Parts: sequence; C-alpha cells; structure tokens
Amino acid sequence: MRVEFRVCLGAALFLGIIDLIYWFTSNDDAGTACLLFSFFAYALIGSFLFLQWRRRKGIPRPEDRDDAEMSDGAGEVGFFPAASIWPAGIGIGAVFLAIGLIYGVWYLFIGGVFVIGSLIGFMVEAEAREEGPDDPGFPAVGPTGPDPETRAATPGTSR
Amino acid sequence: MTLIQERPSGPGLYSEEAEPLTQIVPGPRPRGVVKFITSTDHKQIGLNYMVTAFTGFLVSGIMAELMRTQLAGPDNHVLTANAYNQLVTMHGTVMLFVFGGPFAFGLANYILPLQIGAPDMAFPRFNNLSYWLYLGGFLVMMSGFLTNNGAADFGWFSYAPLSEAIHTPGPGVDMWILGIALTGFSGIFTAVNVITTVFTLRAPGMVMFRMPIFVWNSMVTLFLVLLAFPVLTAALALLWCDRHLGTSFYNPVGGGQPMLWLNLFWFFGHPEVYILALPYFGVVTEVFATFSKKPVFGYKGMIAATLSIAGLSMGVWAHHLYTTGAVLLPFFAALSLLIAVPTGIKFFNWIGTMWQGVLTLNTAMLFAIGFLIIFLCGGITGVMLAQPPLDFQLHNTYFLVAHFHYVLLGTTVFGAFASIYYWFPKYTGRLLDERLGKLSFAIMFVATNLTYFPMHDLGLRGMPRRVFTYPANAGWTFLNQLATIGAYLLGIGVLFTVINVFLSFRRGEIAGDNPWDGQTLEWATSSPPPEHNFEILPPIRSERPLWDANHPDQLTEVGH
Ligand code: HEM
Ligand SMILES: [Cu+2]
Repeated sequence: MRVEFRVCLGAALFLGIIDLIYWFTSNDDAGTACLLFSFFAYALIGSFLFLQWRRRKGIPRPEDRDDAEMSDGAGEVGFFPAASIWPAGIGIGAVFLAIGLIYGVWYLFIGGVFVIGSLIGFMVEAEAREEGPDDPGFPAVGPTGPDPETRAATPGTSR
Repeated sequence: MTLIQERPSGPGLYSEEAEPLTQIVPGPRPRGVVKFITSTDHKQIGLNYMVTAFTGFLVSGIMAELMRTQLAGPDNHVLTANAYNQLVTMHGTVMLFVFGGPFAFGLANYILPLQIGAPDMAFPRFNNLSYWLYLGGFLVMMSGFLTNNGAADFGWFSYAPLSEAIHTPGPGVDMWILGIALTGFSGIFTAVNVITTVFTLRAPGMVMFRMPIFVWNSMVTLFLVLLAFPVLTAALALLWCDRHLGTSFYNPVGGGQPMLWLNLFWFFGHPEVYILALPYFGVVTEVFATFSKKPVFGYKGMIAATLSIAGLSMGVWAHHLYTTGAVLLPFFAALSLLIAVPTGIKFFNWIGTMWQGVLTLNTAMLFAIGFLIIFLCGGITGVMLAQPPLDFQLHNTYFLVAHFHYVLLGTTVFGAFASIYYWFPKYTGRLLDERLGKLSFAIMFVATNLTYFPMHDLGLRGMPRRVFTYPANAGWTFLNQLATIGAYLLGIGVLFTVINVFLSFRRGEIAGDNPWDGQTLEWATSSPPPEHNFEILPPIRSERPLWDANHPDQLTEVGH
C-alpha cells in the first residue's frame, strides 16, 4: 500500500507545484483550472489509499511483502463473473443515445430503454452474488473463503 | 454463472504437488459469437480490443494511401479538396483514438493481469463495457462518411471557430464529437479497471517494485488517461453546446474564446502523445530483456523515468500553441526540453539491457530495434521543434508531419508489431513465421524512412500540411513521389504481417508455454492461458520470477 499512495500523492504534489507556478506566471485560467483538477484527482486517490493504509495500521498485504508465500494469499480473491450480456446492452444503448443526440428523440428513447434495462440487469446480477451459495449456479465454497482461523492467521487476506 | 476464486492454503510452490490456484466452477461456457459478446475474461476482451484496433489501423492506412496517391503528382485530381480534408481528419482521428491507444489497452488487458499473477481484471464486466463503448465510438465516428456532408473535415484537433456550426455544418462533425466521447469514456473505464487491478490483485510477493516494466508503464499511461480524457470530454461537451444550444464558449462572434478550446484540447492532446508512447516503451523493454537474457538494466531508474515523463507531459501542452502568441513561451519550452532527459535515460537503459547480453535477433527483437531508431529520429526533431524560434518557422509544415509520424510510427506501429511477434505464441499457442516476419520488418523499416524522411525537406522548402495539391513549379514533386512510393511499400510490408497472422493462426509451429525462455509470469502458464490464468505460480522473489524458477543457478540479484 505504501508505494501506491506515495506514487499518487507524489503526483498530486508535483501537479500542485506546477499549477502554482503556472498560475502566477501565465494569465491562462483554463490551463490553471485543468492543472487544479489534476491535482485534486491525484490528491483524492492518494489520500484514499493513505487512509486505507492507516486503517490497516500499516500491516502489509501479502502482495506488499518481499517474502510472502503464495499460501499467504489464501482465501477469497474476488468475484469474477464468467460472462454477462448486460455490458453489451449498455454499450448498444450508449450508441443509440449518441445517435439520438444528432437525429432526435426516438433514438434517445430506444437508447434510454437499453441503458436503463441493462443497468437493472447488471445490478440484479451483482445482487445475486450476495446470495451466492444458495444459487445452484454458484460454487460450494462460500464467498467468505476458507475457515476463519486461517484468515485470522494470515493478515491481509481480506480485500 | 459465477466463479469465486481461491488461492491454495498449501505451500503453493512451483512444483507438481502444489494445489491448483483456482477452483473453476463447472457449467456451460459460452462459445463463438456469444463468447465474443458476453465474455468477461480479460484475455478475450484484450483480443477483441487488439483485433478491432488493428482493423482501425488498416482502415486508416487505406485513407493514408489514398491521400498519398493524391499527392503523388502536382495538380492531381484523384480526390477533391473536400474529400482530402475529410480523409486527413479521419485518418488522424482513427489512428490516434482507435488504433494507437486502444491497441495498448488491449495489450494491457491481456498481458498485465498475467504479468502480476492476477486471475482477471478487477471489474470484469466494466471491462466488457469499455470494449463496447470503444467499438461503438469507432462505428459512430466512421458513419460520418455516410452522411450528406461527409465526415468531419477540420483536422484532428478541430480548431474553433472552424468547428462551429456556421463554418462546418452537418451531422458528420457531431458524429466525430460523439464518437470520440464514447472512446473517451471507454478509456476512463479501462483506466479505473487497470489501476485497481494493479493495486489490489497482485499475487503474494509481487511488490510494486517487482512488477515488470510493461505493467508500470501501462499503469502510468492509464494515470494519464484518467487526467486527460475527462478534460477532453468536457471540452467536447462545450463544443456540442456551441453547435446546438446557441452558446458561444469558443465563438468570438458571441464573445467566446477560441483560445479556450486550444488550451483544453491540448491539455488532453499532449498527454495523449505519451498515452500512445509509454505502453510501447514497456513492450520493447520486455522484448529487449527477454531476447538479451538479462534483467532490465536500471530497473528503478526506468520506473523513475516513466513517472517523470508522465509528470512533465502534463505541463507541456502549449508547445503546440507557440505560434498563437498567447502562451507562456519560457514555461512550455523549458518543460518540453526537460522531457528529453528521462527519455534519454530510457535509451541508455535499453542499450544497457542489451549490452553484453546473449542477443537473439528474431522478428520481435528487430521491430523493437526498429522502434529505437525511428523513435530516436522523431525525438530529435521533437527537441528541435520545442525551441520556439524554430517552431515559428516550421509550424504546420511537412517538417511537423515528418516529426510526428516518426514518433507515432516508431512507438505505435513498430511497438505494436513487436508485441504481436512477441506475444502471439501466448495468445494462440503457435509461433508466427520468422521469414515472413523478417521480410515484413525489412520492408516496413525501409519504407518508413522512404516515406517520411523526404517530408522533412518538403517542410523546409515550405510545403504546408493539409494541402490537397500543389503546383508543378513549387519544386515539391520529386520528394512527394518518393514519399508516395514509400507509403505503398509500407502498406505491402504491413500486409506481410497480416498474411503471417492468418497463416500462423492455424498452421504455425507449436510454441509451447514458454518459447522464448521468458522471465515474467505470463510465460509461467499455458498458451493460451486457462480461464483465470494460473494453475500454479512460482515464488516471486525478484522482478523476473520465472527466470529464477527456471535458472536457479543464475538468480536475479535483488536490490539494485
Ligand atoms: C501507415 C502509414 C501512414 C501514412 C502513409 C500516413 C500518411 C499521412 C498523410 C498523407 C497525412 C496528411 C498530411 C497532410 O496533408 O497534412 C497524415 C496525417 C496524419 N497522420 Fe498519418 N500516415 C500513416 C500512419 C500514421 C500513424 C500510425 C499515425 C498515428 C498513430 C498517424 C497519425 C496522423 C495524424 C495525427 C495526422 C494529422 C491529421 C491532421 O492533420 O489533422 N499516421 N498521415
Ligand atoms: Cu505535445
């Protein structure tokens, strides 16, 4: 975590300094505003990562430790749906929305239906994940990973 | 259908007894077209990206050949002025937004999770969505050609007030705006996805300073995407309002500021150049290291160089605007020249990586060396153009066209081709044909120089860019003919690789999992990799874990 937040905060610092110099030396509000946006973007990501690091009290995750073994990462790694039709639905909808902006309301309407419908599908799919083990299509291992003791013994397995 | 992934609780060593890393859920897997549409597997999506991007390259290449045909002689009439303008604009737009960047995103999709030992990208469904937005953007942009007024024709940077509705009416322009906006959203989603993947899905022991340079460079590239594309989208939204809602952000007639567009656009535009370059720097770094059988020379220096190139590239946008007389020349000239320093460090490190190595000069390596030479030429003219006095002379002449084609062909084309020859065995399990590959390289390398070197001189002789024809007495005919012959040759060179891919896809020599004696984790799994990538992983103790596992007598020194 340390390298991650340092990179982001470092970027923010650099952009902040450049912005100050630019602000005082040029008369260009547009550029100053863009650099300010960049500064905030990285300050935000960096401080989020910093807070995460603090919350973990600086205990490194297995991927932050030089000497970690593969088994230190034991446990659930994440939720990886194998296939989904909804992203394509949203994509098609977005194209219709774009065409609608040029050729009028009807396309906008079709695009809206596609996007909203697919978004709902997308969310329902994610919802189903919570009920994982009951669903026949889901694996027997629960989303919580192996037994709690192994997890407690290996700091940093929950993500 | 869902899958939850487990890491083994056993020792997880790189041995036969180790428990498999993943538990694959039984159940139907989509195939064929359905797989192409619905798959959330990062490898499928990566291939979708690369195939689409390469199609964009071919389409845009055909436009370029048309333009070169028109310019083959003075007072030619192959194309009308109007058609030429549309082709210039769409050639530039498609090359940049559909080929250069997205091909690298496809590579990042396919290779990056493998190189850090991850089972997939962090948000697989968003990943799929990014692809659809990108494909949609490409199609919307291209459908401009089907409208009555034709596609956008104001040049790829769409300067205001020329881009306003009074000067350029018609839906072609709107399609250009919306197409770019769609690819922009796709880029932003990819950025969030890749950065999260790098931050949270690395295998145990894969600390940040052990990630391959390709991973670092892709990540930093997507940092830039995250800053550049929102600004571009905002600028495009304002342009849209100007065109349709009667505002005048950029229109001086209504009290607007054309300089606002210039600043916003190039605030995106210059980082975009590095978005096109940095991932390919990563590709050639991997290629040099593998085919020299050495670790990357100056690993941390390489990362520092990447970060400082990216940082500086945020502060140089107005070197495209020197001649407007409305920008702060010293600030932008100084930062632009500074970028040459970290870029120079990279060159030293690339040469250092090859120095005293056991070199294998196969096609991937040749393309990487071609990249070095071509990009170096582009870099040198770049340093020249960064000096305002010179730029005032050469701005918007063919000298500039030569400069940016050397930069962009060096990085995107030679880099992308190196990546194709290097990673094709991983995608398909088969090797590309070396003889066809070397032939393709030789033709492309000669042709690139034949096409673009004369353009430097054309620029010095005063030929402006974006002109559809020129008079016979201007003295530009011979050089233009050379360039056109070069452009045709270049097309032939590219075709050889296309043929190679089609032939080898079915009939190429079987490659095995690790044909190059690779150093990084993507070669530790089968070719093509199984769903969720790894059965077993070697322990990760340096930036080349696979090499350490395969050559225990030559372990990588740690901590340089
Ligand atoms: C395949 C070989 C290529 C040929 C023969 C070629 C040829 C041309 C020609 C003739 C022009 C118009 C010059 C003018 O009239 O001002 C042009 C412009 C341009 N090309 Fe290429 N090009 C090639 C590859 C590329 C690549 C790989 C990229 C980027 C990745 C690229 C990016 C551009 C851009 C950005 C412009 C400027 C468009 C504008 O002025 O708005 N080209 N190219
Ligand atoms: Cu620039």
